[in-house]
Amino acid sequence: MDYTSQNQKDKQEMLKVLGISNAEELFDVVPENLKAKELNISGGQSEQELLNTFKNLASKNKPLISFRGAGIYDHYIPSLVGEITGRSEFWTAYTPYQAEASQGTLQAIFEYQSMISALTAMDTSNASLYDGASAAAEAAMLALRATGKNKILVSPALHPEYLQTIKTYLENSKAKIAMLNLSVNGNIEKGMVLAALDDDTAAVIIQSPNYLGVIEDMDALSAASKESNSLFVAVVNPISLGFFKAPGEYGADIVAGEGQILGCPMSFGGATFGFMAVKKALEWKMPGRIVGQTVDKDGKRGFVLTLQSREQHIRRERATSNICTNAALNALAGCVYLSGWGNDGLKKLAQTNISKARYAFNKIKAIEGFKSKFEHSVFFNEFVIETKKDIKKINKALVKNGFLPPLDLSYFGGQFKNCLLFCVTEQRTKAEIDKLIEILAKV
Amino acid sequence: MEKLLNEISSECKAAFNVNCDVESDLNIPQNYKRNADLGLPCVAENDLLRHFTNLSRKNYALSTTFYPLGSCTMKYNPLINEKIAGFDGFNCIHPSQPAETIQGALELIHNLEKDLCEVSGMDYFSLQPAAGAQGEFAGLLIIAKYFKSIKQKRTKIIVPDSAHGTNPASAAYAGFEIMPLKSESDGSLSAQKVKELLTPEVAAIMLTVPNTLGVFEKEISEIAKASHENGTLLYYDGANLNALMGMVRPGDLGFDVIHINLHKTFSTPHGGGGPGAGPVGVKAFLEHFLPVPRVENKNSKFVLNYKKSKSIGKVRAFFGNFPVLVKAYAYIKALGAKGLKNASVQAVLNANYMLAKFKDKINVPAGSRCMHEFVLSPKSVLQNGVRTVDIAKRLLDYGYYAPTVYFPLIVEEAIMIEPTETESKETLDKFVETLNKIILDEAVNEPHKVKDAPVNTPVKRLNEVEAARKPILKWSG
Repeated sequence: MDYTSQNQKDKQEMLKVLGISNAEELFDVVPENLKAKELNISGGQSEQELLNTFKNLASKNKPLISFRGAGIYDHYIPSLVGEITGRSEFWTAYTPYQAEASQGTLQAIFEYQSMISALTAMDTSNASLYDGASAAAEAAMLALRATGKNKILVSPALHPEYLQTIKTYLENSKAKIAMLNLSVNGNIEKGMVLAALDDDTAAVIIQSPNYLGVIEDMDALSAASKESNSLFVAVVNPISLGFFKAPGEYGADIVAGEGQILGCPMSFGGATFGFMAVKKALEWKMPGRIVGQTVDKDGKRGFVLTLQSREQHIRRERATSNICTNAALNALAGCVYLSGWGNDGLKKLAQTNISKARYAFNKIKAIEGFKSKFEHSVFFNEFVIETKKDIKKINKALVKNGFLPPLDLSYFGGQFKNCLLFCVTEQRTKAEIDKLIEILAKV
Repeated sequence: MEKLLNEISSECKAAFNVNCDVESDLNIPQNYKRNADLGLPCVAENDLLRHFTNLSRKNYALSTTFYPLGSCTMKYNPLINEKIAGFDGFNCIHPSQPAETIQGALELIHNLEKDLCEVSGMDYFSLQPAAGAQGEFAGLLIIAKYFKSIKQKRTKIIVPDSAHGTNPASAAYAGFEIMPLKSESDGSLSAQKVKELLTPEVAAIMLTVPNTLGVFEKEISEIAKASHENGTLLYYDGANLNALMGMVRPGDLGFDVIHINLHKTFSTPHGGGGPGAGPVGVKAFLEHFLPVPRVENKNSKFVLNYKKSKSIGKVRAFFGNFPVLVKAYAYIKALGAKGLKNASVQAVLNANYMLAKFKDKINVPAGSRCMHEFVLSPKSVLQNGVRTVDIAKRLLDYGYYAPTVYFPLIVEEAIMIEPTETESKETLDKFVETLNKIILDEAVNEPHKVKDAPVNTPVKRLNEVEAARKPILKWSG
């Protein structure tokens, strides 16, 4: 099956027009010694055979009832989201270069930008980026570009893969990354930022809730970073913003984050979207596509790609980023998801996450051999528990029962030996949480 | 005109709801709580469904029309691949699950890497990059790290003036300086000019083969040889790989680093602008520099190896756009070696057939033969102040999406057409007839019709200048 559409008769007619007898003659410009031998690739499967092949592959993966987050989360995805992203008018279109024939995608992105701006309380959102990690790295690049400074201060409780991505993005530049210290409460203290700041600091990057689930005192940290005119970059969980303080409220300059939780399946960590929003002053320096409102020749409202002179297809090596596409279909999922929850719904969703996580937290720390690691910290839907029990045994027991265990933080080293990072979203039922407690108590 | 969500928002119940089946306190200090209004719309589910369904109907898409967008390879996106990627076993797994519970995903990644190596003639692939531009960026960081490892200071990258904008942008983003290479009038590159630019500071030369005018580089062997003799690496932009499958392998041409756009050559949908996937491939001597983790097969179990001290690290979290990888692998298993080759040969046949029907009427700077796409330059036949942008807009009136226009930059008034292999002769004939009619008849005899286009679209021609001059980038009440 190769999905080509030509029958033999058509093919013969086409060859005749070209005055050749075999289509491979069109490759005569390629020297013989450069032509490929026959490829060694299996295939030729019918649709029915493909189904079986991939059912078999999929069956070697085991979906589990997740008590793990750490960057990718199991939230419920309402049916409307899949219905809309499943419309082929959306998923088989491309980047909306011809605006008049792409108003669906363009308006949806405009709506997305409106909602991301509102949710983060920032001035301007772009059309989305690849994922949370690369969005954080783009935020660092943006800060370096906008300030002309050379140092980035980063929280050690930033997602480790985000940190690694920032390091990779800066690998061949002259910029330096300096790490802040973590307090015993699992957060960053204002004094640590003040002590580490200097005149060459382009940005302070803080995640909240951080990788350990702790909500940071973003007011204080943002104010601290302004002491030396550094930009404050907030990496946030968008659902948590239904309840917790928004970046615009604490004076963030750049907001970045992972959009997977806004209506995208976990999908092994892929095909999600990153979001970015900035203060107005940074608008023209922002990476990625941006959609703007305009009018057509009759004065009717419409939407187009705009501020394009920032971008690679116009500015080439002087572009604000090399990014070409965004993650349009995933951002569309985010757009439908946010619009379906609305103000009250998103607040309730955030509260439900907090409630369920606290319910589980209180029960787990009451089990003998388990205790809270950061008892005095505020958390959203993830928290750290220290255990005296054998983590391998815990994991084994949980997987056996169809549960994805909390993340073992031991590899973080030092104070995180014997620590587990739990996640409880609205998706987990009381029965599942109670079952988890039962298993943990028995280990 | 479709209203905006905020304009249909009312004090209704939200579309979605959640019940909480546990009781616990929400005792959180006031200073952590949000004060700002959330500012989201509130719309009932029924109205949301209509809103977004109506929006979708304002899109031209591959599922509704021919989409000959040059350089983007808008080939048919097989429906079975969507179905497969939606299996729970692929969709509902967490990236940090224990290895024994994700053997299928790791096996798929491992096997797809192998098949991409075979198609491209490279030795190793990483599927991590999320898009072509990110694959380029990863590839250039690999090149930078390689030269650092052998203690050579090479700071420059040669990029032809016909290249995609992402090439120079990625190279600059990766910390390199760009040396522009002027192409010949037919879009091809001269080995002699390349040689003149090859100084000891040149880390790599980035090439697109066939080039963006749809032509196979005649002097590629000489360019490769001269570059390698200078210690310079060859980077292959895989945007146009759909011309070559089973016929020519970039690895055999001498390329050291390559990225492939799975959303072009391997049929995964473009999604309105992502998600795509831009795997980066290398020759064996660069394997250590690939992003982590690597999927390895140990004692017939698949494992993730993060311990690669020379790796460039990560360009994004986790393992790449996994559902895109699933779809690309399903595509390869449908086609196999024979089907892949046939797809490329047919893509080249379709393009040449169309080109043959234009070439006597409209100027083709790269000559009368092409690979999988070609570029028209209608400048000399356009009259009455009609420009390529008008031609593109007029095509929309006939129900077609427009080809890529004004690219490559070296061709005046460029119209870049890529039919792909999945379009029928009938579709090609009708499109050729329409485009010829617009350029040779309408633009001459009824120029206002062309300059006023489009009129059959949901909105008429939009004012892009105004949009950039006074940016309105969100709903503001």
